[in-house]
Amino acid sequence: MLIIENLTKIYENGFKALDKINLEIPDGQFVAIIGLSGSGKSTLLRCINRLIEPTEGRIVWNGIDITAANDDEVRQIRRHIGMIFQQFNLVRRSKVITNVLSGRLGYNNSLYSFLNYFPKQDRLSALANLERVGIRDQAFKRASELSGGQQQRVGIARALMQQPELMLADEPVASLDPATSHSVMKYLELLNKEDGITVLCSLHFLSLARAYAHRVIALKGGILQFDGLPSEIDENRFKEIYGEEAIEVAIS
Amino acid sequence: MNHTPPSRRAALRNLLIVLAITLGAGIYAYGWTVTDIDLEKPQDENRQSNVQNALRELLSPRIFDQDREIITTSTPFLMDCEGESPALSDSSDAPYVRVTPSCGKAGDVVMIEAFNFESGVQAAIRWAPIEGQRRPREVLETGREEIIIDSTGDFKGQIEVPRISGSSGQIHQIEFLAAIPSGPVRFSKITDEVIRRMAETIFMALVATSLSIPISAALSFFAAHNLMRPVRVPTGNLMIAIIALPIGWLIGENILSVIGRETINFFQGDLEVSVLSMLFPLVGLGMVAASRSVALLETPSLSHRLRSVGEHLVFALVLVFLIGVLGGLSLVIGDGLVHFADSIRPAGNVGAVNWLATAGVDGINGTGNFLNIVGGLIELSINPIGGLIGAFILSSSVTKLTSGALRSIEGVLAHVLGGAMGAMNGVLVFGFIAEIAKGAALLSLLTPLAAALFAQQIVILGHASWWARRKKVVLSPIERINRWIIALATAVVAFAITFIQLRVGRTVVDGTLPSLETIDLMGVEVTRYLLNGMIIGGVLGSMFGLVAGTRQPFSIGSVLYNVTRNILNGLRSIEPLIMGIVFVIWVGIGPFAGVLALMLHSIASLGKLYSEQIETIDEGPIEALKATGAGHLQTIIYAVVPQIVPPYVAFTMYRWDINVRMSTIIGFVGGGGIGLLLNQQINLLRYRDAGVAVLAIAIVVSILDYASATIRERIT
Repeated sequence: MLIIENLTKIYENGFKALDKINLEIPDGQFVAIIGLSGSGKSTLLRCINRLIEPTEGRIVWNGIDITAANDDEVRQIRRHIGMIFQQFNLVRRSKVITNVLSGRLGYNNSLYSFLNYFPKQDRLSALANLERVGIRDQAFKRASELSGGQQQRVGIARALMQQPELMLADEPVASLDPATSHSVMKYLELLNKEDGITVLCSLHFLSLARAYAHRVIALKGGILQFDGLPSEIDENRFKEIYGEEAIEVAIS
Repeated sequence: MNHTPPSRRAALRNLLIVLAITLGAGIYAYGWTVTDIDLEKPQDENRQSNVQNALRELLSPRIFDQDREIITTSTPFLMDCEGESPALSDSSDAPYVRVTPSCGKAGDVVMIEAFNFESGVQAAIRWAPIEGQRRPREVLETGREEIIIDSTGDFKGQIEVPRISGSSGQIHQIEFLAAIPSGPVRFSKITDEVIRRMAETIFMALVATSLSIPISAALSFFAAHNLMRPVRVPTGNLMIAIIALPIGWLIGENILSVIGRETINFFQGDLEVSVLSMLFPLVGLGMVAASRSVALLETPSLSHRLRSVGEHLVFALVLVFLIGVLGGLSLVIGDGLVHFADSIRPAGNVGAVNWLATAGVDGINGTGNFLNIVGGLIELSINPIGGLIGAFILSSSVTKLTSGALRSIEGVLAHVLGGAMGAMNGVLVFGFIAEIAKGAALLSLLTPLAAALFAQQIVILGHASWWARRKKVVLSPIERINRWIIALATAVVAFAITFIQLRVGRTVVDGTLPSLETIDLMGVEVTRYLLNGMIIGGVLGSMFGLVAGTRQPFSIGSVLYNVTRNILNGLRSIEPLIMGIVFVIWVGIGPFAGVLALMLHSIASLGKLYSEQIETIDEGPIEALKATGAGHLQTIIYAVVPQIVPPYVAFTMYRWDINVRMSTIIGFVGGGGIGLLLNQQINLLRYRDAGVAVLAIAIVVSILDYASATIRERIT
């Protein structure tokens, strides 16, 4: 259970990205976060694993107060939270397998990392995770040689190395074409269904949210605008979230 | 709101443009005057012929040489005769010389003719009086002493009779010296020397570059703002770490370095025992690694912390032992190699095989010497190495042990504790700064500057916490300006107080160092200067600690970044030639001084270039690895290093290229290499010899330029 209470983030330049957000997300839910660019989607996700320090409020996950943790504890907590990114955030010059293995660093000792050593178990599970996202044959290529969809799947495999209980996905398909988008979303859905991983995924397209999410959260200017089932978003709700001018475009 | 008609505005604008152009022209003209531009000098005929000669010789490098046999043919000349003495009428096939007229007085112009010489041969004319030195004569037609026999094998030219007192009635000889080539054409001595020096130059650049790489690569991480800016630690932890540093240094210098030194000595004893005992540190290292491979505990308990401190200690011991092993082995193996080389050095000198053998022996000898130097360096620096290891290990252990307790301290107590520890920190930091500052007049400004920065930080921090208590995060522009003014004023006051208290003014004006007058402080002799600096530091530090408390995060990363950046920028602005002068004073004329100068400058400039590369990397992977729970070091190894390797290699090539260029001229200040040779030849006016050096530099620099550009292109 992830409980967010009164979460507020004000950046140093005075921009209020999140304004008193209150949420309760039960384990195993697939939650889509929608909203315009700059509505606070990325900030919300990054506050959960403290990549961004919240200004006020609390985030409690499985009874642990994430916002009160010190640096060491934050690292311990982060090991259980996977994250994938719009720009994939792979080291493009490194091999795919190295990128995947680096998801395991939090569990390994720095001396090993210095010698570029990973336990055999880690190496096997890296290959297994690549197999799972269907690109085992690409394991020893450079990450930059892969297509966008494949790179995002490497990102998913890297997050899987952490054996996460919660997956944060920051617009995972915004840089991909429609067909690839669906394949990446399907893998996220699979993790949610098979492993019971809670997924928090920010999305641009409402149609994707409708297709994959159990629940949709809409942010507008840092304020929680909507929280409910995907089917509850009708045209009026849509205009509330995206503004009067907006027209819904579907991704097929 | 402008009521001026458009035409008048245009006129005004034109007037302004004209004024600006006039002003610019005036400044530029002043530049011409300052730079002494003078159209008369280049037109001076003497200068023109001098520069022509110099250029001709520079462009006629003495690359090749040939043995020459000097054949002297002379003809008599009667000084100060009245009548006309009959010309000798030779007409043989052998080379002979004729002078017409064969008598005359000083200042007369006489005609010299030479016959039956080999065409193209170099020759010269000398006047040989009965006693005293022979005088070279200049051929009036060409204005030069050097003569080339023309294709007919003859020469004809006029010379002036020299003024030699008391020579009246004497018969002098006019000598015609012809240098007949004999033996094969070969490389000249200067070419051999240039090749040798050029090799020296290239290796100077190589050694300087390679020595600077590890240092500048390490520094570059501290000089990259994207890595350093987010590094923040709670002020209390930092204060404890700083207090532990000097204590750790003392312990390390006195205990760890003894272990290191004993290891070195021990290894110099018996080689076999030494090799066997290398197993010990490896086992230790393995144990450390094995004990760490247990997954990190969810909540670090005290026993866990203690165990990690124990590991730190083992690590320190193993590290210093390994360094000692490295030093000892280097010395032993180095000595062994030198002796081995001596024992197999071939005697005599027979043919190519022998030459090869000699080269091999030289190689072994050189490797031995190199290892000896490495070992010696470790032996020399084992004290500071021990100190450094001790300081860092103690500092990190103490911080780890106390961080739990520090976190539980809150409220007023945190600020009181902060004030107390801040005072100690201030004393330590300012003691350190004052120790540096007492070195020279310019350095003495460091203490007041540091005091000003400290005071400014106190104000900013106090201001922030004052507003934070009023729940205001974002300040209005006026509040920002206010804060800025107060901070600046405080900084100025702190600067002034420190400046006056430490008598920095006297130091700067007179260039004299602060007096080292000591006072007795509870049985300890302390310099008054140092004490004053420490008191100022203590006051500022306690104020800082009181305001900040122990919980406030302190951006130590920014401090390290700024310090590193400023040192690198300062070093970079000093040309290697100037550094060369200083190093020549220290280690004497020769390539070593050049290497040190180039190394220091390379550290600064590579450090800057490297850190700029770090600043331009894709930050995405860093964010991604942080999100997986990876540590700082791990993030750097996996997200930063792979991205910076290619540019690092490229910039290192580029720097080597620059260092070769620089080392060609660092010899001008005594830094060794080809510059030293070039400087000598130019000072001796041997432009043909200098020409060889110039040609060699041009060839090597252009080859390297091309090579480094090609390699850089391949990599990036």
